[in-house]
Amino acid sequence: MRRTPRDELAEATAHGGLYLRRLIREQLNLSAVALVAFGGIIGALPLALLLLPGFQDVFVLGVPLSIVIVAWPPFPLFITIGVVYARRATALEQSFRDLVEPPS
Amino acid sequence: MIAIAAIAAVTGATLGLGVYGVRLARTTSDLFVASRAITPWWNAAAISGEYLSAASFLGIAGLQMKLGSGALWLPLGFTAGYLALLLFVAAPLRRFGAYTISDFAEARLGSPRVRVLAAFVVLGIAGFYLVPQLKGAGLTLGEVTGAPYWVGVVAVGAVVALNVASGGMRGITYVQAFQYWTKTFAIALPACLLLIHLGGLPERAAMFGAELPQAPAAGLTVELDAPQPVTFPEATSYTVDGAPRQAQAGDEVVLPAGTVELPPGAVVPVAEGIDAQTGEEWARPVDSSGDASPVFVYSLLLATFLGTMGLPHILVRFYTNPDGPAARRTTVRVLGLLAMFYAFPLVYGMLGRVLVPELYLTGETDSVVLALPEAAWPGLGGELLGALVAAGAFAAFMSTASGLMVSVAGTISFDLWRRGHADMTVRRRRFRVAALGGVLAPVALALVARELDISVLVGWAFALAASTFCPLLLLGIWWRRLTAFGAATGLIAGAVTATGLIFTGLAIENGHPTVDALLTQPAVLSVPVAFATMVLVSLRDRRGRRAADAALLAMHAPEGLGLGYEEPLVRA
Repeated sequence: MRRTPRDELAEATAHGGLYLRRLIREQLNLSAVALVAFGGIIGALPLALLLLPGFQDVFVLGVPLSIVIVAWPPFPLFITIGVVYARRATALEQSFRDLVEPPS
Repeated sequence: MIAIAAIAAVTGATLGLGVYGVRLARTTSDLFVASRAITPWWNAAAISGEYLSAASFLGIAGLQMKLGSGALWLPLGFTAGYLALLLFVAAPLRRFGAYTISDFAEARLGSPRVRVLAAFVVLGIAGFYLVPQLKGAGLTLGEVTGAPYWVGVVAVGAVVALNVASGGMRGITYVQAFQYWTKTFAIALPACLLLIHLGGLPERAAMFGAELPQAPAAGLTVELDAPQPVTFPEATSYTVDGAPRQAQAGDEVVLPAGTVELPPGAVVPVAEGIDAQTGEEWARPVDSSGDASPVFVYSLLLATFLGTMGLPHILVRFYTNPDGPAARRTTVRVLGLLAMFYAFPLVYGMLGRVLVPELYLTGETDSVVLALPEAAWPGLGGELLGALVAAGAFAAFMSTASGLMVSVAGTISFDLWRRGHADMTVRRRRFRVAALGGVLAPVALALVARELDISVLVGWAFALAASTFCPLLLLGIWWRRLTAFGAATGLIAGAVTATGLIFTGLAIENGHPTVDALLTQPAVLSVPVAFATMVLVSLRDRRGRRAADAALLAMHAPEGLGLGYEEPLVRA
């Protein structure tokens, strides 16, 4: 019978270790991309508000833009990043499944 | 009266659902993780219900009223924490199958000693977090019934301990989901109705313009039970028990107990620890110095972003997901549910500045959510809405405190009590004794910690969690070379740095503003210290190396390949 990468993983051979490390690296890369997308936007926000005090003078629905921008828009952003990430991570797992146990 | 009935109803429903749930719990696995058969929506509501604490329900609005719009970073960080959990922890940890962080530490690192160390950190974080819940309870009951502070503290402590001792996680999952909807309804409905009733935001100049908080058109009357030291930002006349008095700008006065009256339009004096801010200063989410300085904001964001995953009552709930992808789906739903809730607290913070300025005088800004409805809407409408927010606040204390007590009781009864006893009845008895005993210390601390802001106390819990369990989890899940010794030294280094800075901040006053910011919210220092210690010590610890591939395979291998652990690791 043909040995699949799954068997290598299950028996913890050196070869299997390579597959495992590759999976972990791919997942970590995906998480890192999502983190950069999130961190870049939210991390820049306090600095932007500090350097651009003009936001305080623009009013949206009677509330200064500087408050509005912190209070509401970040939440849909979190959800969007979360949804996209979860979808990609699941797809990554499916391709790993196909890789280590090719459908015969 | 209506408020008391509403609080009693929420408490009764909580106890009832808990008792109903325990009938369904049959095995230890049931008791702790509800047999993992709960759908993502139920799970997400339960996680959110457990998470939205006194800090979210009362503390954000209170801190916003007191310090200004810098408090708006809190809900952002509280939610972003679940994004960190989703990206790095949720699915792998669920697959690994350990129930608690202590279980994770032992199973991943093969060291019972790290487990005991982790157990002590759990107790530390839970303690920091339980105290403000109980404080909120004392405050709320005092606000609605006039009962002394200690009554609410002791009552909620007792109810929660009984509830946890009698119910298991299964009961708690439905209870917590119920609490989420109670809280969201209780904060959203009054916020919307008040805005409609007032026709938008009244007196915007006081909120966003050049004005300091002022007494309303009818004047301001405050009953003081005890002498209250205040600072007058501007000269004004006022009366104490009818006797006229005069204050100059900058006067520091101790107002005697009695009835204090301010004339219409007078600038409200502020209690110790509060700076009188113009609307414009108050509306700035970031400022070049002070409580909204960039250092403080970034440190707070870091603490909440990384600290959420280390809160002991949150991770347990992820094991009720059937598999890794379900854990991810649950976390995404949590992001949505939290976003819905956090749209509303700032309405209270903004309205409170104009409608209940007497809280600046008494210093009790933490009760703005409770005081606002009746102040904004005199009569039955305000009373009903006041009862609703009081009930929501109680749901907040009870749900978070219950979740924390489950962790505390589990930690004491399994990790610290002499282990190795497999008998179910003995285990259950220990769990109950631990639940009843474990509530005593936080109750005692809450009775003496009345002065501290709810959100500040909770900020410390996040800082401690971010400096201990966050590096343990992230490195344990993603880095093969983490050793038990490295993890242990990192845990100790992070915990000592974080608590050391916090207590130094309590002991010394008025240093450099940046130093003050770091002492109040030390995460930006203590998190790197913990990470660096874990990595460096692990790299040097040649003897402690062990094959971690099996554990990492179980965490990362997709379901359906037969490569993961099929059964839970510990305690099964």
